[in-house]
Amino acid sequence: MSRALEDVLFGDLSHKAQALTRAASVTVAAALLVLAAAVVFRFHAAGQFEGRLWEFFAWQTTWVFLAKGLLGTLASAAMAAVIALVLGLVLLLGRLSPLRLLRWPAIAVIEFLRGVPTLLLIYVCFLLLPSLGLKLSAYWMLTLPVGLSTAAVVAEVYRAGVLAVPRGQTDAARALGLSEARVFVHVVFPQALRFIVPALVAQLVIVVKDTTFGYVVTYGELMQNAKVLIANYRSLVPVYLAVAVLYCLVNYAISRASQRLGRRVQ
Amino acid sequence: MGSVLRVLADYGPAFGQALLLTWKLTALSFVAGFALGIVVTVARLLPLRPLRFVLTTYVEVFRNIPSVALLIFIVFALPDLNVLIDYEPSVILTLTLVCSAFTADYLRTGINTVGIGQVEAARSLGLSPMGVVVSVVLPQALRSVVQPMTSLLIALMLSTSLASQVPLPGRELTALVAKIANDSAIGMAAFAVAASAYLVSGLLIAWAGAAVEKKVRILR
Repeated sequence: MSRALEDVLFGDLSHKAQALTRAASVTVAAALLVLAAAVVFRFHAAGQFEGRLWEFFAWQTTWVFLAKGLLGTLASAAMAAVIALVLGLVLLLGRLSPLRLLRWPAIAVIEFLRGVPTLLLIYVCFLLLPSLGLKLSAYWMLTLPVGLSTAAVVAEVYRAGVLAVPRGQTDAARALGLSEARVFVHVVFPQALRFIVPALVAQLVIVVKDTTFGYVVTYGELMQNAKVLIANYRSLVPVYLAVAVLYCLVNYAISRASQRLGRRVQ
Repeated sequence: MGSVLRVLADYGPAFGQALLLTWKLTALSFVAGFALGIVVTVARLLPLRPLRFVLTTYVEVFRNIPSVALLIFIVFALPDLNVLIDYEPSVILTLTLVCSAFTADYLRTGINTVGIGQVEAARSLGLSPMGVVVSVVLPQALRSVVQPMTSLLIALMLSTSLASQVPLPGRELTALVAKIANDSAIGMAAFAVAASAYLVSGLLIAWAGAAVEKKVRILR
């Protein structure tokens, strides 16, 4: 049926242009190899290939420690996601309420939590709440702010889903005599959820990224454990590279899951 | 309320400077990231396989890496490779890389909204492939991504808070709040002032984005 844009753009090149393209491809590949070689050489010149900087990656304890960090990241992200899903629903109900007394505060809370950096909220829990006599554990100093700022975004995602449900569905459910609560619980929300599951899963990527701030409150997540490894072995580049790869893999897996869900829903 | 006034009296100029620094970091990294994102998007269209592969990896890496992990790598690990970048350029570089990856992603989606028939028509009129991209595809793609780019700009503005994680000579809003909270008992009021500054900045961006969107949107 429809061809990809790239194929239409470059589909009917002359033989000469095709040969040129092939030559350019080889040149680019060569240039990229040279670049990679330059990076490797820089590692070598800076002494970054020394055995002592890498040998602890062969030890099981290192990976157990990193796995613990990853587990800490996931534990915080999972709880933050639960907070966001539940509080997001509460905020959505307030946002959709016909009562101004409920709607306006809900809008204010959503706009506030969406408009302030998560890191600033973490500092509030970390630096300010203790002076008010509220001392949270490191886990909650990280998880609560991440959960709160995600809840506001999730509330807006829910709302987009609810607005996407055809109006006829609500009208029909009301005509059948269902109460407003039942219309929402049995008819509108389940359909809305189908539309937004991919967006909700994609939001998980942002939650995982936000938990990186765990080292600010010395909560044992991946970044914090990486810092401990670095302090122990004085190996900055290898450890940070390993951690970056781990984060990318986790988030890439979540992104792919979200894309696949999106295709299935459609 | 009284403590907010005290914060403004004691730290008013500091907050002004912090807000300006937040805006500066946001603006510089957005402009650079947007431009880089356009270049990446166009380069990804070229029929050069190795280039496409590398650029797709680039986009996936910088879309998925936590910004603060990237910043810490640039600031603390690169010196071990004899690459020294000052703190402020490091923050701008971090945000630029992340912004360019998201821009490339959104623009690709925008390009997909352009009808293939238009590309075929432009090609049969004799325009070169890059001519089609520059004068037919990109203008429409750019006009269709105003909304996601507005959200990206707001997210970027909020992300400048990670500058508080490196010893920048000047303080942006989050670093200033952390300092005031450490030094004195009026941290909560300082937080309120900074939060309002972020909220107002976000509203301004949203308003500007809506104005641009209204002006350039394509009614289909």
